[in-house]
Amino acid sequence: MKFKIKKYKYVILAAAFAFTSCDDYLDINDNPNNPIDAPLSSLLVNSTYESTQNTFRMGNITSNYVQYLASPNAASASDVMEPVSYSGSWGALYNVMTDINDMILKAQEEEAAHYEGIGQILMAYNLGLTVDAWGNVPYSEAFNFVTVTPSYDDDAQLYSNILGLLDEGLANLSADSSISVGEDDFIYQGEISNWIKFGNMLKARYLNHFSETGSYDPAAVLSAVENGFDGNEDDAQMEYFEQAFNPWAQVAIDNANLFLGGWISEQFIQAMDGTIYGYDDPRLPLMVGATDDGEYIGTENGAGRGDAPEEGARSVLEEGDYYTQRQGPVLIATYAEQKFIEAEAAFGIDKARSYQAYLDGIRAHMNKIGVGQSEIEAYMNNPEVSMGVDAFTIDDIFKEKWVAMFLNPESWVDARRHDYDYEDFDLPANLNPDLNGNFLRRLAYPDTEVTRNGSNVPDVTLLDPIFWDE
Amino acid sequence: MKNKLIFLLILAVIQVSATFAQERTVSGTVTSSDDGMPLPGVTVQVKDTDRGTVTDFDGNYSIEVSSGEVLVFSSMGFERKEITAANQTTIDVSLAPDLQSLEEVVVTSFGIEQEKKSLGYAVQEISSEEITSTKQQNLVSALQGQAAGVQITNSGGAPGMSARIIIRGVNSLDPTADNQPLFVIDGVPIDNSTIESGGTPRGLSNRAADLNPNDIESLNILKGAAATALYGVRAANGAVIITTKKGQAGSVRVNINSSVGFDEVNQFPDFQETYGQGFSGVYDASSFWPNWGPSMEEINEIDPDVRFYDIWDDAMRTGTQIDNTISVSGGSENATFYGSIGKLDQEGIIPFSDWGRTSAKLSGEVKMSDKFKFSGNINYSITGGNRVPHDRFMERLVYWAPNHDVTDYINEDGTMKTYGNTNPIYDARFSTFEDEVNRTVGNLRFTYSPTKWLDLTYLVGTDYYSDKRTEITPGPLGIDGELPLDSQGFITETRITSRDINSNFFVTFKNDWTEKLNTTLRVGNDIFERDYERVDATGREFVIPEFYDLSNVNQVFNDQDKRKRRLVGVYGDLMVNYDETLFLNVTARNDWTSTLPIGNNSFFYPSVNLGYVFTETFDPGDWFTFGKLRASWAEVGKDTDPYQIGQTYSSPGVFPLNGNVGFSRFDRFGDLELKPERTTAIEFGADLSFFENRLGLDVTWYKSNSKDQIIPVPVSPTAGFTTFVTNAGEIENRGWEFILRGSPVRNEDFSWDVSFNAAYNRNEVVSIREGIEAIPIGSQFGYAGSTVSITLLEGEPYGNIFGTSYARYGADNNSIYLDEDLPIIIGPNGFPERNPAQLVLGNTTPKWIGGLKNSFSFKGIDFSFLMDFRAGVDQYNQYDNFFSAFGISEYTLNRNETIVFDGVLADGSPNTQPVWLGQGVGPDDRNYGAGFYRNTYRTISENFVQDASFIKLRNITLGYSLQENALAVLPFESVRLSVAANNIILYTPWDGFDPESFSAGAGGNATGLTGLGYPGVKSYFFTLNLGL
Repeated sequence: MKFKIKKYKYVILAAAFAFTSCDDYLDINDNPNNPIDAPLSSLLVNSTYESTQNTFRMGNITSNYVQYLASPNAASASDVMEPVSYSGSWGALYNVMTDINDMILKAQEEEAAHYEGIGQILMAYNLGLTVDAWGNVPYSEAFNFVTVTPSYDDDAQLYSNILGLLDEGLANLSADSSISVGEDDFIYQGEISNWIKFGNMLKARYLNHFSETGSYDPAAVLSAVENGFDGNEDDAQMEYFEQAFNPWAQVAIDNANLFLGGWISEQFIQAMDGTIYGYDDPRLPLMVGATDDGEYIGTENGAGRGDAPEEGARSVLEEGDYYTQRQGPVLIATYAEQKFIEAEAAFGIDKARSYQAYLDGIRAHMNKIGVGQSEIEAYMNNPEVSMGVDAFTIDDIFKEKWVAMFLNPESWVDARRHDYDYEDFDLPANLNPDLNGNFLRRLAYPDTEVTRNGSNVPDVTLLDPIFWDE
Repeated sequence: MKNKLIFLLILAVIQVSATFAQERTVSGTVTSSDDGMPLPGVTVQVKDTDRGTVTDFDGNYSIEVSSGEVLVFSSMGFERKEITAANQTTIDVSLAPDLQSLEEVVVTSFGIEQEKKSLGYAVQEISSEEITSTKQQNLVSALQGQAAGVQITNSGGAPGMSARIIIRGVNSLDPTADNQPLFVIDGVPIDNSTIESGGTPRGLSNRAADLNPNDIESLNILKGAAATALYGVRAANGAVIITTKKGQAGSVRVNINSSVGFDEVNQFPDFQETYGQGFSGVYDASSFWPNWGPSMEEINEIDPDVRFYDIWDDAMRTGTQIDNTISVSGGSENATFYGSIGKLDQEGIIPFSDWGRTSAKLSGEVKMSDKFKFSGNINYSITGGNRVPHDRFMERLVYWAPNHDVTDYINEDGTMKTYGNTNPIYDARFSTFEDEVNRTVGNLRFTYSPTKWLDLTYLVGTDYYSDKRTEITPGPLGIDGELPLDSQGFITETRITSRDINSNFFVTFKNDWTEKLNTTLRVGNDIFERDYERVDATGREFVIPEFYDLSNVNQVFNDQDKRKRRLVGVYGDLMVNYDETLFLNVTARNDWTSTLPIGNNSFFYPSVNLGYVFTETFDPGDWFTFGKLRASWAEVGKDTDPYQIGQTYSSPGVFPLNGNVGFSRFDRFGDLELKPERTTAIEFGADLSFFENRLGLDVTWYKSNSKDQIIPVPVSPTAGFTTFVTNAGEIENRGWEFILRGSPVRNEDFSWDVSFNAAYNRNEVVSIREGIEAIPIGSQFGYAGSTVSITLLEGEPYGNIFGTSYARYGADNNSIYLDEDLPIIIGPNGFPERNPAQLVLGNTTPKWIGGLKNSFSFKGIDFSFLMDFRAGVDQYNQYDNFFSAFGISEYTLNRNETIVFDGVLADGSPNTQPVWLGQGVGPDDRNYGAGFYRNTYRTISENFVQDASFIKLRNITLGYSLQENALAVLPFESVRLSVAANNIILYTPWDGFDPESFSAGAGGNATGLTGLGYPGVKSYFFTLNLGL
């Protein structure tokens, strides 16, 4: 009996020992595949790449609204301005803003002022894209998982955040940084002076968005322009890669493979081929493709292609043009755009400066996409283009800016500020009847927000303007 | 901890001090009193000891006994007989058939045999015969129609393609959860996962397909939580308990099984064969459009040489399979063995698809003494083949114009021969994906019985496999004018290794308290570890064409995934048997898991079940042979996958770009307070048999609720993550299961047995976390906005398919259901209007499933057939969507007709406007554009969500076994010849290939999305069995 008790004691001891070591045995749940932390440079790589991608994503949405593109299918939801749910693009914007948020916090910790500054500029840019499309959006409760249902901030307030971010960013870029930026920056490859110009250019862009509001300050816009881009070489853009093609080139490739997309709007063709303005624009063949017969024929927004076949009979984005080279750039902000901003801001203060900026803007874009010098001169010398300071109107700025901003989402901000008041710019066929014969003023909140954060989503219609569009 | 257990065990073994009494050998023959025929497989046991043997094929046995000991002879279906051994050396015994007995023995947890009579929950056993007679090479497919409440779905007809098994409905709201049961071989769990290909579907295998069905002795399905409580978290969806063949004492027996089979497509969709290549009725021999051209008559006026090929038949071939297994078994009283080698080679109906399995198995059992037994089992297999891109093959066949011979696919220089579109056969040949799995499943079992009332058992097993995959798509060959399959070409090398270790130690105490009351108590410890690693390397752009090596590429992308999971469990199981009348079983288990946060990772769950054999208490009459009522209540806990908790960063797949790697915050965040899921199940049942077991009925009602589900809850991306893994939601399954079996005829020459099973399941998503309205499970492409999705909503059943529909007059705008009875609204253009809102168009979970089996035997002839059915199930027919878009379906023959659509205008008045269905300018001079089928029909998901119910003749077999007189002159113990056919009858409202197909593979939950799946097949087999 004694022996037995002794034996049991060992068993109990062994069992007790086994259980104390159990916790160690089970403590193997640290993820070996994903790191807990990511270095600044890897966050910058992703942030610059994804910010450029977002320029494409938003441009892909807005290009039908500003009638650069048209759907080959009749009454397609984007053409006829139905409330489409852009959950993917919304998610991409917040995804990169989350990464930028982490990059800024980490840069502050490591006193890497340049990373922090670039982060603030990219945050301002992505937040701007988001506010300009949707108005009130989450920001103050966003990114850091303080709640699963972040509240929505007021759009006008968000604009102060954007401008504040740009100012902070510019200050940080001018400060000393513990770590230097290099090839991890896909936009400027670490050239901080360019980031400073880009920050100022964005400041000019967002200040200029106030044009229709009482708080518009053209002088502030012009002072930001002073510190902005000095030429096309300063443009904020990212060239694509052998491993990842320019997304517009991909649209063109897909279309050639009959995954239809990138069909050119009749509005754009007719604005460029003389139908509307009475003169040819030499940029057209450098921007879009011709039909099998060598003609430029657009597709009417909302009407679809009718009985035209899937290929060869309409102008489409074709691989290899300026905007559709496999490794060509997506343009985020350009010197040409800045010139048109300057023209608009100066129009009421110094019309001669405004006129000159307008001409410079056209020339800058033509140079950018590779128009020959003689063709540039021929176009610039056309009295319809160089109408002289007196005949020059604000409409001329918007018309030329619209051409120069091809496929860029900023065009839709211009279109709304300009009340879609371009020459012969018609509502699409089969317009969403809920719009009562008006163009849309914002995007509908995406389904992911409605289903996942429904109680916070503002109740708006597509006709409710963003605050700067009152 | 594991090491300590082994150490303890070794100590225990060393302490064995066996003593041997004075013994002698007794032998004899056991026969049936009915006909005097020898009885093989009769258990001969020395009463009150663990010594025992079984009779061999000729009814012979021999056993060591001391005089005075009692020999107990028992066999299923016969009355027990006890004989006291005096001094004789020969004891011949004749056993009387016992038509009263229903003491069927089933294997439940850890390889423990239990009388079925004693169980308080439903189990269903499937014999080796029932498995092999289906001729299914995938063990899971072999279960089709054979067990109530067990839903088996083949993912397609390719050799080696996975099959999915779901018991009593889906238990998880997590779209990525594996809802399939745990597979256990000889007491040790094994892996049955399916790792699908990343890109286009390739139809890979579920790992149970690595097992040779010929090696299986029996298979038992544990359905409810009560049955699986002892296996813990991994068996929360039930368990499939496999017992493999063992040797038996007696002369060495050799069994040879040879089978050859042929496969063909079992059902084709209805195709039109009138209209040829072109668009808008205009013929163009290089057009992308395969079937929107003019009629063949008109085409032949332009070019009389153009033919209309039956490309669907031409592109497929007759599949073949050759299966050979040889097994050797035998042994002495103290040691038995079983060994087998099997080789299977299959070629699929899509050219260049093949799969094979080479397997070897060795098992043995050694009785070292009366007190110590040791058995081991090792199974090695090599499986794999070339997995053609079947989805893409079929898609390219959709685009292929039937005016061109699809089998004429290659030029002499090796480039693709085509009029413009990619040739599917060329793609199938050169876009290869080969896998090879090397797998070892082994286990050891030690049993030490120091006294009559105590057993110590240690079971340890491993399941190790390496899965080597190579996918190659060639780039350009560098020949002028070629149309390459890919502009760059790529090679992907994938290496997966997975190792499971299971260790299980338990102690069994048996006690007969009184003559009527006895108990068995079992306590044990269970440890599981899985170590999984996967490495992928992809190279793009071959420098030298046709040289496929990672060193020969311009760009390389790598990926790596490592996972480790551990589980520790402690359990107790008490069985009380009162007078063979009342059976009470109580279990309790505590698990500790590595995948939940420490502090929340320990969880306890109990179960209790009761069986009452009421025919023991009172006698309802002679006709009522046996009756048992059962009830059970059980809880099972469930953990999650590794590495779900907390926040991490990951590198998006697009990187590296120019040598730079970006990181992004991982979009999933796991609750730091995550706790285990809990399933609570109750079950009531009755097991009745009448007329001396000639008629039997088994009815079960069950209800199970899984709460605190660990699900990746989709959250607003603005929060910083898109997925929050947390405890949220509840899902309920309840249903009925019926098994009816009978033996209408049973006499010496002729017998007829029939069994029927049916199960009804109702599923409901009881709740999802507040603020979360929907959980998306999957979606599948449809042209022009007709993409469908499967989404879970609160209060709705699992598997609702959402999509677009025809607009209905008077529809309730608040209803999520399509009301098909309402009239369709016809637009001002005379065509039906489309409702873009996503409505429920059907449900992918069958309401009823079941099977019917009949077997007849007359002297040496046996004949059997097995049918199975499913009803109340809808699927998305992606083929049909493509066939309508490309003018391939037979119903598009009306393309040149002018009709008035049945429906009402927006104001409710009947539509009277005639419209033309064709393309371009119609007879009424109106321009109809791309025509009805492209403008309207293909855009309406409703047209493609179709009833996928079916009744299938799974198998029909006719066999003949040579009788004694013939065997006498042959050198064989037994010879059986059989012919069999599978799936030769398919009765279904579904228009298309076999509806039993889905693109997600067995591990995916979106079963109702057929994709362009590998077509189902019917097969014919010729089989020869030889016994030596």
